[in-house]
Amino acid sequence: MTARPIVIGVGNPDRGDDGAGIAVVQGLADLTTHVVAAGSLDLFELWDARDSVVVVDAMRSGADPGTVRTFDVSTAPLPEETFASTHSFGPAIGIELARALGRMPAHIEVIGIEAGDFTTGADMSPAVAGAVEEVQRRFENA
Amino acid sequence: MTAESTTREINVDYLARVEGEGAMYLNLDGDEIVDLQFSIFEPPRFYEAFLRGRKHSEAPDITSRICGICPIAYQMSSINAMEFAAGAQVHPQIRALRRMLYAGEWIESHTLHVYMLHAPDFLGYESAIEIAQDLPDVVTNALRLKKLGNSVMTLIGGREIHPINMRVGGFYRTPTRKELDTLVEELEWALEMSEETVRLVAGFDFPDFEMPFEYVALRHPDEYAITDGRIVSTEGLDIDVAEWRDHFEEIHVERANALHCRLKDRGTYHVGPMARFTLNHDKLTPRARAIADEVGLEKGERNPFKSIIVRSVELVLACEEILRLISEYERPPEPWIAVEPASAVGHGASEAPRGTLYHRYEIDGEGLIADAQIVPPTSQNQRSIEADLNEFVAPRTQMDDETLKWQLEQAIRNYDPCISCATHFLDLTIERAD
Repeated sequence: MTARPIVIGVGNPDRGDDGAGIAVVQGLADLTTHVVAAGSLDLFELWDARDSVVVVDAMRSGADPGTVRTFDVSTAPLPEETFASTHSFGPAIGIELARALGRMPAHIEVIGIEAGDFTTGADMSPAVAGAVEEVQRRFENA
Repeated sequence: MTAESTTREINVDYLARVEGEGAMYLNLDGDEIVDLQFSIFEPPRFYEAFLRGRKHSEAPDITSRICGICPIAYQMSSINAMEFAAGAQVHPQIRALRRMLYAGEWIESHTLHVYMLHAPDFLGYESAIEIAQDLPDVVTNALRLKKLGNSVMTLIGGREIHPINMRVGGFYRTPTRKELDTLVEELEWALEMSEETVRLVAGFDFPDFEMPFEYVALRHPDEYAITDGRIVSTEGLDIDVAEWRDHFEEIHVERANALHCRLKDRGTYHVGPMARFTLNHDKLTPRARAIADEVGLEKGERNPFKSIIVRSVELVLACEEILRLISEYERPPEPWIAVEPASAVGHGASEAPRGTLYHRYEIDGEGLIADAQIVPPTSQNQRSIEADLNEFVAPRTQMDDETLKWQLEQAIRNYDPCISCATHFLDLTIERAD
């Protein structure tokens, strides 16, 4: 992982496992973090051309809940259907819009945490809560 | 239906990691529509239960979480209900701040829909990303306009997402005139950009299509209603918000596991920008009226595809109103007044970007919420959308599935069904009897 990245957590904490991305950044005290709870369309407002960026979001790829995958999106798009957001436009669209407008940062990757349960008002499932801690440790050990 | 039917599941393009929360289902036998259903996910049901037993003052913060796009609408309708229950009257400048804040939400929501969701359909693009590749200036300006809406919400509402500054009785902190003045230069740019938006979208090609339904919207004697008003309709309805239940009802639709709204006497009706524009045409602000006239948008417009023009005219109106209210602003003496809970029923409504949002609360003697009812615009429009889609599909059933799907997506987008409450989870299923 690149040193001192800006970490952006995306999701909806009121929708069970969809809160995973936000839970990750809320536990990171020493890094610059942002919470995006509704709409990732103007994601590029959160970074500059020289920055290294990590976006953390829940995903639905068909893997077991709690599975963590990392995607380097500096040069290739994110699989959009995996990250379609419960709110407005998901990060896949925000990143591609940034690319189309020439507003990408120097390096950007997306960490996806496989979600299972999106029930309104539910807590994160144990597998996803465990994955949140695992991702937080990655930042702490970087 | 014959035995060998084929089901094809097609996802609408801005969608879907949770299946079954919103769906459009179309069953065709030859060219005949056997069944068409449009249903949406309804998070308010969860919140209605969650609100019971909470303090009356907590309703704005709790209900604002229902929608990431229109949190102000939920706050405003719940605050109206609580102030109604207590018989409280806020300072005129508090009301002005609420109108500015709410207009900021209209700017954000309408810009998002006009440019990022609706315009690609008319311009022949799959998505806003393709527009950004070909017409980067258009998208850059759109995002700047949306950002202005966010700035208004952040300055007055405390923060852009799930704003926290508005409360029953007023605001935790009111901005100074100097702080509001920082918005003026960008608002003047936005006003002109909004007029350009009207000119741009009015030049699109619109299919011939009309919706016949009764329009319902709030109406205020002095202004284009946003934060409050009486409920009026094109069929002569003119009632206080407190009379909502006397004239409207939610009925449970078994097949859709959802509540549909209807006018008790007349059935299907429609709320939203199209209804507002017609019912409040005489209250348009000067430049909004001038630009509507310039592009030939008339009171009584019934083509839902032209809702993109109406939303753009409302962008002009929102910018004009914020500018006017800033110029007249004097910081109110107190940021909020105490609103003592009374054992009463509170009713509140406001014009969310997508239409009238009605809240009703029963408050007990200790100021706790005994019962909550939240009726969002998209669920009020569910019947009219479904009926419209039936009309729309009928002459198009011979199209292949892909073309039909594309056309249906566009038709659904006319109504801007609440993105987070609805279409994100939209599965579009076409079933044909072979």
